[in-house]
Amino acid sequence: MIMGVRRDGETMSALSYKLISPRARTILMIFIYFYLLLIMGAFGNAVGKTLMANPKVPFGMISLVLMGVLAGQMTYRWKQDIILTSIVTVVVTFVGIWVGTLPAVSDFFSSIYRSADNPTILLGNTQAQVIGTLLMLLFCYLGSVLPIWSFAQPVNYVSFWIVTLGMLGGVIGLVIWHPGMGDFPVFTKFTTASGPLWPMLMVTIACGAISGWHSLVSTSGTARQLEKETDALPVGGGAMFMESAFAIVAFLAATVAFGGYQGYLDAGGAGAALGVFAKGMAAFLAKIGIPTDFGVAYGSVFLTIMAITIMQLVVRFMRVASAEMLGDRLPVMKNIHVGSIIALLLTFVFVLIIPWLTIWGAFGGANQLMAGLALLLVSLWLMSEGKKHTWALYPAIFMIVTDIAALLWIAYKSFFKDLPAATDAANTQGAAAAAIIGAICIVLVLAALVLIVDAWQAIQRVRAVKPAEA
Amino acid sequence: MSEEEQNALKRIVQSTIQFIYGMAGHDMTRFALKTRGSMEHLFILITMGDLLGVPILPPYYSLRLLPYVVPQISTWKRRMLRERDLTDALA
Repeated sequence: MIMGVRRDGETMSALSYKLISPRARTILMIFIYFYLLLIMGAFGNAVGKTLMANPKVPFGMISLVLMGVLAGQMTYRWKQDIILTSIVTVVVTFVGIWVGTLPAVSDFFSSIYRSADNPTILLGNTQAQVIGTLLMLLFCYLGSVLPIWSFAQPVNYVSFWIVTLGMLGGVIGLVIWHPGMGDFPVFTKFTTASGPLWPMLMVTIACGAISGWHSLVSTSGTARQLEKETDALPVGGGAMFMESAFAIVAFLAATVAFGGYQGYLDAGGAGAALGVFAKGMAAFLAKIGIPTDFGVAYGSVFLTIMAITIMQLVVRFMRVASAEMLGDRLPVMKNIHVGSIIALLLTFVFVLIIPWLTIWGAFGGANQLMAGLALLLVSLWLMSEGKKHTWALYPAIFMIVTDIAALLWIAYKSFFKDLPAATDAANTQGAAAAAIIGAICIVLVLAALVLIVDAWQAIQRVRAVKPAEA
Repeated sequence: MSEEEQNALKRIVQSTIQFIYGMAGHDMTRFALKTRGSMEHLFILITMGDLLGVPILPPYYSLRLLPYVVPQISTWKRRMLRERDLTDALA
């Protein structure tokens, strides 16, 4: 963020062009496109196939969208007071979430989802998962093609209140309850279901971790929004503080809320992580008198909001990226609907065929690797300014090594374990999923290696210039 | 309540308001400012395009408007001349 502020609001790719090499920008753009695709796949999988597939959730999300649109109209068209707008839209959204839990409404969605017999209709996914995913994609499509003031921004505004009040309620409930950690067993193994503890632990935890997404947005967005340079500390630090606070709440919601390890397993355990979070939040909220049924739906909407508000921005970005990259050769790509639909179709395929845990690991690896590259860029900038840089360089080296190891591990697992296993079982979809994830991991690693080589050469150039100046 | 305590309370309230504004309302303010900035920069491009080699309006009218545009010229030039790339779409 400070780099962006000190260099006239230049974005991360412009900085890499100037500080590393001209081709660094192109490589970074390729990296970013695949990275965004992984974000869509990972978040889309969580939202479309799990959260929106719960018949008690869609009505709450539809209410949120409608209230977001209303908030946009009230603010920009009808020039209404922001307090009145906030009260009306937030209260009605909460009512919508509650109405979604009523049998009449949830039964309606159950009948659409055919929850009773839960048929598998497309690529091994149930009807509920396919419809949930389509609803999510519709939301992202609207966020991508409608003017920002009329959809994305007011929906984000209403979402802020829903998420913040949820966190506040959860924390108050937790403080009132102050449960113990229970009998969760001490973890002593080095190998987990996702792979070895190093490097997979570092790429599995996303919330509260150093993140490539934040590096990307803070240079191109936040750096240009600060009123003065000194605001960078409370804004940047505050944002990270909120993120880590959410990470802690999420951790506690998945552990202490169930009284012990057996309770956690009964709630679904690691195989139903999102459901576990929603139930945990509901347990916290129950301590301040909120009914559990509403709490579970609220927890699900809460998580959906966290993901979907980023996803609509990502689709918008992917639409612009495809128009820029292919627009001259294929003019139709400049059409906002075509660009958005192609991005959404790619997401749809990712969501339907690739298992969540696999795509989440690849997303985490790409996200943290991007953060490592950002730290490398910071080190280079500090060096070129003649300032101390080791505090950024050493963490950058650790992160890059760890994340490349994680991506290579996922690629190895995909190509040499999952792919042969799927081929032997004549599972075409599983084979395709393994091949896609493995290939993306390899592309990301190669792109990162080229960037690292160029960055190393840039470091040598800076070092060569400094003694000459002296 | 002593004056010192009152001041401390005021600071806490002020910080809380700023915190909520930053998380909730700042995006709207920024969007409005960005829209205004875009309109102003478009206006300057039409009237002062000569500065960048894009003559649109006859210089007579440009000169008449110059005093009103001067305060914006530095930010306008920075925006017009900044190299853009895809990540600008995230801003």
